Amino acid sequence: MISMSFINPLSDEGKRIVMEDGGNLDRIYDENSQLIDIVYSISAQETSDDAFIPKNYSDLVIKRVEWFIEKKSDPDYKHKKYAYLFHREITKMDTIAFYILCQAIGVKFGPNSRESRAVVELQGQIIENRLEELLTSERTEITQKILNNLIVQDKIKWTQLADLVSSKKISLQELVLKDGNVILDREEFMEHFGEIIKKTNRPPEKMYDVFIGNRIKELIIIKMIMQNTENYIKSVHERVKIIEPNPILLKIADKVSEVLSKEIRYYGSGSGGGTVKASPLNVDLFPPCIKSALEGIKSGGRNEVIVLFLTPFLSYARLNPSVFRSNATLKVSDVDPDLKITKNEILPMIYDAADRCSPPLFDDQPQEKININAKLGFGMHDELNPQHEGETTWYTPMSCEKVKLQMPALCRPDETCKSIGNPLSYYTRKIWQNKSNK
Amino acid sequence: MEMFKPATLEERRIYYREEWDIKHVPDFIVNSVENREFGFDHFGRGPNDRYKVFNTPEYLKRFMKSKTPFAAYCSVAFYEKPRKRDGWIKSELVFDVDAKDIPIRTCNCENVCEICLREAKEIVSSIIDTLKGDLGLNNIHLVYSGRGYHIRVLDEDVMEMDSDVRSQILKYVVGADLPKDKYDDSDGIYNLEHFSIPFGYPKVFTERVKYAINHLTQDSKLDDVNAKLLKDVLTNRNLLDRDEWGLFKTKIGPLRYKKVVKAITSLNMGLVDAKVSIDLKRILRLPSSLHSKVSMRCMEVKNINSFDPFTDAVPQFVWERK
Repeated sequence: MISMSFINPLSDEGKRIVMEDGGNLDRIYDENSQLIDIVYSISAQETSDDAFIPKNYSDLVIKRVEWFIEKKSDPDYKHKKYAYLFHREITKMDTIAFYILCQAIGVKFGPNSRESRAVVELQGQIIENRLEELLTSERTEITQKILNNLIVQDKIKWTQLADLVSSKKISLQELVLKDGNVILDREEFMEHFGEIIKKTNRPPEKMYDVFIGNRIKELIIIKMIMQNTENYIKSVHERVKIIEPNPILLKIADKVSEVLSKEIRYYGSGSGGGTVKASPLNVDLFPPCIKSALEGIKSGGRNEVIVLFLTPFLSYARLNPSVFRSNATLKVSDVDPDLKITKNEILPMIYDAADRCSPPLFDDQPQEKININAKLGFGMHDELNPQHEGETTWYTPMSCEKVKLQMPALCRPDETCKSIGNPLSYYTRKIWQNKSNK
Repeated sequence: MEMFKPATLEERRIYYREEWDIKHVPDFIVNSVENREFGFDHFGRGPNDRYKVFNTPEYLKRFMKSKTPFAAYCSVAFYEKPRKRDGWIKSELVFDVDAKDIPIRTCNCENVCEICLREAKEIVSSIIDTLKGDLGLNNIHLVYSGRGYHIRVLDEDVMEMDSDVRSQILKYVVGADLPKDKYDDSDGIYNLEHFSIPFGYPKVFTERVKYAINHLTQDSKLDDVNAKLLKDVLTNRNLLDRDEWGLFKTKIGPLRYKKVVKAITSLNMGLVDAKVSIDLKRILRLPSSLHSKVSMRCMEVKNINSFDPFTDAVPQFVWERK
């Protein structure tokens, strides 16, 4: 039988495992013969190199991350090197490793970090792979069991999954909805849609298997566990404000970060090329939407385009193009201490685009100049004054999704747009490609 | 009688002092009046008198009667301190369908007319059906805005949701995302077109595509759809009346069909003003107030089927115009 914590380490059973272990972090570097024996006992495991074998909890934590990186990025990835991660015998050790990993990331980096995103994604992929390796009957049974455990009520309202929808871990469109309920049960599906499907000459049973079956249920449990992992990292991070972090966890966190950094280009919003330093703007490399905005807006929505869209893009593209890659929060003056670049390069471009609008934006709405200053982080003031910096937030560039929603006329995607999620990533990727070509 | 002509200052005074009544402000606003921000446009230059707060409906009444504003608005958001727009509690979920901004209008009029207002009503009806039938939302209020409709949802479950969820709801109800066409189970991979799936989002999407195709005209502009393709769509669209989608697709050609559907998907995004739906701190025209640009009453619609803006939303002073 599959143990609940093999799939969901945050289950009560998983918590019990950690409690029973005692949670003594001093032991995580001690050789763990039980772990080594389990790994050697798995016939599918590659044992030709001693380095493939985790010797203690610390090794196991790092191996989890290495597996994730290699599977994602290494064309020569060998599943056999990590076969033990997908065998139920590892459950107890792996559950403890999971908690060590989350706590390390929580204390050192917090929930909004690249490391946290990677760990959450890693956990989702481990669950997915583990489910795939189970027998169909086991897979169905454990999925249903975990689902029942995660969701207490008989019926799941889609509104209960709002966190998952918000974080885009699940799309509303993937769910089959009726009167606000997520249809997961076969009988319920037949009751609501059986007759209407028959009219299309397709077998309703098959439609259920294809549309819901175990697929949606698995998706929901995976995404819920990912969300709970994120929440757990967040709760650890909040506790650190009160309790001094354990140095062992900080050390583990550094090691995890080091492993992740080896393949940084594969993470987060990282489809935008490598890290790019602040440098003069190259308009030729701007995405189509920005080029279009620079030409001015001829119809409604001038304010949004100039103030909310163009101002953050141009300022970040010029001063902090790698904002989505770094964890550091910068102010404009951190990069441009005397604000010369902002005043001489960035604002003139924004003002020119505003003048090209029809009618020119500042003719009838001169107050928008103040709003532009506010979006750069300098409060609601006529002038950019370092003393006012921090009164408002320096807005980060709008995502492609928001552009599509709020200013659809600007979005005329080209080939590069297909693989990016933010106009700024387009720009950094183009700069990177430009450099590589040279 | 001249309709859609701007109201004069005198007409506004007549409206607010003789016709307007605080009882015409819907309960869903009156009951939360102290938590909402109010905004006013006194001179027809936009709502620049913002951050107004009324602790009781009586104060709102006095203000309206004495100021007779060009336009009146109130926030969709509930605040602890509405005067500072501080302490956000929750926001109504709103869909703004403006008749003049509908991407496909069969009337081609310059402003709004009976035809496009009817089409706005059809769009609003279908959105409400999806909000109820699929998403299970029930506390829905419909407001005629003067040039279109506002759907205002006050179900507690959705009022605390963030902009990201709201944008997904929006795209779901208007059909602004192409449904996937490949599905798999343990037996293999299946290609299923949206029109062969009579439930869930694909069903909503199919209904929206059908509506759009049925409202196309020779002059309609669709991304990447040339005049010949548009003509073929118009020639064959009668097949959709009998839901013969497969035949329609064959007649158009599978690749050309994809182009049409893709274009409609992006066009559907324009059925509703997305900025309004995702903005948690938006102010919306106050139901019962006068839309002075067109001399129409903004009002709550109790029965969408029987509501006729040309009789129900026309203020008395318009009927009396010479």
